Amino acid sequence: MTASLEPRIAAYIAERMPQARDVAVAGLTRISGGASRETYRFVLSWTEGGQARERKLILRRDPPASLIDTERRIEFEAYRAFHGSAVPAPEMLWLEEGDGPLDHPFFIAAEIAGFQASPALLWAAPYIATHERLAERKWTILGEIAKADPVALGLDKVMEPIAPEDCWKRELGYWEGVLDSDEAEPLPIIRAAIRWLRANPPPPAQKVGVVHGDYRTGNFLFDTEGEIHGVLDWEMSHLGDPLEDLGWSLQPVWSFGRELAGGLVPDDRAVAIWEKASGLKADPAALKWWTLFNCVKGQAIWISSARAFIDGGNTEPIMVYPPWALQNAQDRAALKVMGRL
Amino acid sequence: MKPDVPHVLGEMAQLLVRNADPSVHPADRASALGLTAALLGFAAQAWDGTAHNLVQENKAIRKVLGETGADEDLRLTVLSAENARLRQALIELHEKVEGQDPAKEAEIWAELVASTERRTVLGAPV
Repeated sequence: MTASLEPRIAAYIAERMPQARDVAVAGLTRISGGASRETYRFVLSWTEGGQARERKLILRRDPPASLIDTERRIEFEAYRAFHGSAVPAPEMLWLEEGDGPLDHPFFIAAEIAGFQASPALLWAAPYIATHERLAERKWTILGEIAKADPVALGLDKVMEPIAPEDCWKRELGYWEGVLDSDEAEPLPIIRAAIRWLRANPPPPAQKVGVVHGDYRTGNFLFDTEGEIHGVLDWEMSHLGDPLEDLGWSLQPVWSFGRELAGGLVPDDRAVAIWEKASGLKADPAALKWWTLFNCVKGQAIWISSARAFIDGGNTEPIMVYPPWALQNAQDRAALKVMGRL
Repeated sequence: MKPDVPHVLGEMAQLLVRNADPSVHPADRASALGLTAALLGFAAQAWDGTAHNLVQENKAIRKVLGETGADEDLRLTVLSAENARLRQALIELHEKVEGQDPAKEAEIWAELVASTERRTVLGAPV
């Protein structure tokens, strides 16, 4: 199925590079793990000014039904806003919102090649020696995202505005709605967590900033020195309380069983790095709220993946893996944050 | 586990047939088979214990709810449907006693913790 895509991608790009001749796509390979978009890498070759050229690119295409329902334009613009900043992000090239060229909407970006994203690599040499440095970079970059001005970045034009006091209500309401519509069985732990969240709301956001929405170990490209070269998976980015991202990065499912933030360092170390970089404060009670909220959000994502499979919208195995592997762990994470485990 | 194991195994069987076609790109085949193998591992873990765990859980929740009765039909679909009914009743009871009946609340929390222990899968991060 990937082979038949190559000439269609080449034709699409050729129309957008009128100066190029002999545009061709080769080596199209699907990158496993993407449940919200189909992700492929390929090599684009062309001739320009008599010279042969090549570039490694990434194609992100919507599947028939996805783990996360998102607006691809927002994702595209978020990448574009941060490219070239203190937040490393790949260069975006083309966004296609129609179904015509490749059956589903997609975008094409430059590949940041030569680095790793898989968390599984981090627990052995040579990466295990880099955890302190990697954590410093991880939460410093998250602090830079929190510090960024959405208006200066132009993201206020594509992302829904929100008042500081409404951030928590909108996010909790949205993800509770996903659970209401998608759950395949009653979820007593998550429903108890939602009741606690509603009874104990956080203070208004210190600022309304850009929230990445899925900032965790596994969603950035790292090297053997603990440097981060690209922050990926911006499909859930939105305007909101920066503590939301910090809470997602600390939620226990992303400890990978190591009892450390992101599997890397103790929680208080991660928070200290983030506070220094962002210039914001992580009030412990507010951070607990956002960490528990992110347990609810995580469960809603795993549940909606199961729903897409159950309803037949997408019966790929990637839709089953998150609920089977993580649903119970997510319940246990919520118990842990609530002090019940 | 949701989706239900028989549904997933049926879809995986079809996927394996599709991947037997030599025209499937090796990268697509590798991705599909790797994930399928992982799912078969989860299904294998669940196979022996699912009915037992559902019966135990249904019994434990009935006790918290003050209900009598037992599971007579041991088909997984029947046990799961009863489990869903009981867990929904547990949610309603939990909401009712919160802040009102600390002893009952503690009993409910203990059962919720126990439910996650029954459902633990190997390699889970929490």
